[in-house]
Amino acid sequence: MSQWLNKVIDDATKVQDYLAPVRQQALEHLRAEGWPTGRNEAWRFTPLSSLKEREAAIDQLDSAVASKVESIPGVDSIDIVFIDGQLVSDLSALTLPAGLQIHSLTNATQTQQTEITALFGAVKPTRHLFGLVNDALCQQGIYIEVQQSAKIDTPVRIVNLATQDTDAHTRVLVNMQNNSQCSIIEYGSGTEQSFTTAFAEYRIGESASLEHYRFAFFTELAKQVGGSHFSLHDNARLNSTLVGYGSELSRVDVDIIHAGEHAKAKMNAIYLLGEGELFDLHSTIEHAMPNGTTEENARGIVGDRARAVFNGRIHIHRDAQKTLAELNNRNLLLSRRGIINTKPELEIYADDVQCAHGATVAEIEEQALYYLLSRGIKRSKALVMLNFGFIQELVNAIPNPAIRDWLLPLLSKRFESMEVK
Amino acid sequence: MLKINNLHARVEEKTILNGVNLEIKPGEVHAIMGPNGAGKSTLGYVLSGREGYEVLEGDVTFNNEALFDMEIEERASNGLFLAFQYPVEIPGVSNMEFMKESVNAVREQQGLEPLSAAEFLKSAKEACKQVQLPLDFLKRGVNEGFSGGEKKRNEIMQMILLKPSLCILDESDSGLDIDALQVVANGVNSQRDDKRSFIVITHYQRLLDFIKPDFVHILANGKIVKSGDASLALKVEKEGYAFLGKEFEGVEA
Repeated sequence: MSQWLNKVIDDATKVQDYLAPVRQQALEHLRAEGWPTGRNEAWRFTPLSSLKEREAAIDQLDSAVASKVESIPGVDSIDIVFIDGQLVSDLSALTLPAGLQIHSLTNATQTQQTEITALFGAVKPTRHLFGLVNDALCQQGIYIEVQQSAKIDTPVRIVNLATQDTDAHTRVLVNMQNNSQCSIIEYGSGTEQSFTTAFAEYRIGESASLEHYRFAFFTELAKQVGGSHFSLHDNARLNSTLVGYGSELSRVDVDIIHAGEHAKAKMNAIYLLGEGELFDLHSTIEHAMPNGTTEENARGIVGDRARAVFNGRIHIHRDAQKTLAELNNRNLLLSRRGIINTKPELEIYADDVQCAHGATVAEIEEQALYYLLSRGIKRSKALVMLNFGFIQELVNAIPNPAIRDWLLPLLSKRFESMEVK
Repeated sequence: MLKINNLHARVEEKTILNGVNLEIKPGEVHAIMGPNGAGKSTLGYVLSGREGYEVLEGDVTFNNEALFDMEIEERASNGLFLAFQYPVEIPGVSNMEFMKESVNAVREQQGLEPLSAAEFLKSAKEACKQVQLPLDFLKRGVNEGFSGGEKKRNEIMQMILLKPSLCILDESDSGLDIDALQVVANGVNSQRDDKRSFIVITHYQRLLDFIKPDFVHILANGKIVKSGDASLALKVEKEGYAFLGKEFEGVEA
C-alpha cells in the first residue's frame, strides 16, 4: 500500500454529500485494488514512485485568485476556471446561450442532484485507479447540459490550473441531449509541485455532435492524471483532439464507448515531450453496437531521456458487426536515450468488421538533415521541416481554425526548443 | 578565397586524405580528377562539414576565416555550396519550401531582407526553366522520385538560386547523357564571373570540354600528386593514370 493512497482513503471516508453512494463504491474498489504493482498492465511503463510516498497535501491553501486566464485568440469561449481544485468562476455571472446550462456540483438543487448522480461514474469505467480516487474525493466540479436540438456555437472552456503544492480533484459531467451540438475545451496546466486529477464524462445523445479538445499542458513537477470518457448513442458524432506535454507524471485515459449504432468517432492525439518528461496516453475504444466507425491517430515526438507510453485498445464486441476501426501510432525519437512504449491492441469478437492498427518509431534521418544544413538552413529550422510535418498534419485537421492557429506556433516553438542528441 | 593547407582526414577508422594542399583564388575554376577511392568526394564532404568526416591535421581558410570553426549551415550561408553526387530524397518537404528556406537563410547572413513568396516564386521559376526541369518539380518533395539526371539538374538549380561564392561540384556529370551534361555545364557557365570560384570533381574529361578549367589537379592516395592546366585532363583521358606510377597502370580515366 502507499502512504498517499492510505491518506486518500482516510480523507474520502469523511466526505459526506449526495454522491455518497457512488463514492462508497469507489472506495470499496480502491481498497480491493490497492496500489498498482509492476504486474499491473495499466501502469507497467509509468512509474508512480513520485506519488506513492507523497506527503499529504497542504491543508491551508493560499486563497485561489481568479487571475485572468489567457484566452485563445479568436475563440470567444465561455470560461470556467478551477485553480488548485477550487472553482473560482462565478457561474451565476455567466451569460449562457439558450439551450446551455452549467451548474456547480456543490450548489446543486434537488433536481440537479438527481441528474448529476445519474451521470457521475456512468461513462467512466471503474478500472481507472485515479478515476476512483476522483470519484471518492472530488469536491468541486461542474455539470453541463445541452438541451435537445440546441446548437451551441460558443465553445465552453474548462481551465484547470495547478499553482501550489496540493492535491486537487475536479470533475466535469456533460450531458448532451439528442440532436444537440457543442464544443468543449478541457485545458490544464501547471509547473509547480502538485497533484491533480481531472476526469470528464460525456454522454453524447442520439444524433448529437461534440467537438472536443483536451490540452494537458502540465510540465516539470506538476503531476496530473485524468481522463475524458465518452459514450456515443445512435448516430452520435465525436471529434476529439488531445495534446499532451510531459511532466514528472502526466497520464490521460480516454474511453470512447459506442453505446448506440451508426456512431462516428475521430480522435487525434499529439504529444511533444521535452527533456526528461513523461506522458502516458491510454485509450480504449469499445464497439458494443453495430455499424460504428472509429479513427484514432496518435503521433508524438520524444526528446532526450523522455518517455512516451501509448496504449491503444480497440475492443469489438460480438454484436458490433460492420464496425470500421482504425488506430495508428507514430513516434519520432530525438535521442537514443528517449523511450517509447507503444502497444496497439485489437480484440475482435465480431466477424464482419474492418480493422487496422499500426505503430512505428523512427529516428532523425542524418542524411536528410545534413542536406538541409548544407544549404544554409539553421539546424532548428531543418529539424522542424523534417520532423514537424507529421504532427502538423494532425494540427491541420483541427476543425476550429482559431484553435489551429493558436496551437501551431505553440507546438513548433516547443519543438524548436527540444534538442536532438 | 579558399586555402587548404596540409589537410589530413579520416572516415570511421580509415584515413582518406593525406596532406592536401590547394589554393583557389576568386574567379578560378579548378578541376580535380583521380582514380576511384582517391579521396575526391571525401574532400567535398570535409569542406562542407559532413558528420563522420574527421579532420586529423591541417587547416582550411575560407575568405580568411577558419572553415573548421564554422557549423555546416554557417559554411553554406557564408557562400560554400556542395552539389551532391547523390542528392538526398526528402519526401514531405517540398522543393519550393526547401529552396525558399535556403535562399532566405543565406540572405539573412548577408543582411538582406527575406524574399516574399511571390519574389521567390519568380526567381525559382526562372532557375527551373534554365535547368530545363518542368515547373511542377518545384512542388514535388525534395528529389522525391527524380531520376539521376533530374537530381543533378535540381542541384544546379539550387546553385543558381543560392549564388554561392565557392561551388564544389561532386561528379555532377556522372550518369548524364550528353544533353543533360550540356544543361548542367551551361548552368555552371552562366554563374562564372571574376568573383566566384568552382571546384569541379570529375572522373571524366568530357565535362571539362564544356566547363573550361583554369587548373587541373590529380588526386591519388589522398594527395594532389600533379597539377597543370586543361591539357593535363586530356593527357589523363588519353593515357589513363599510368604516369602516376606502377600501381596505377591499367587504371582508366
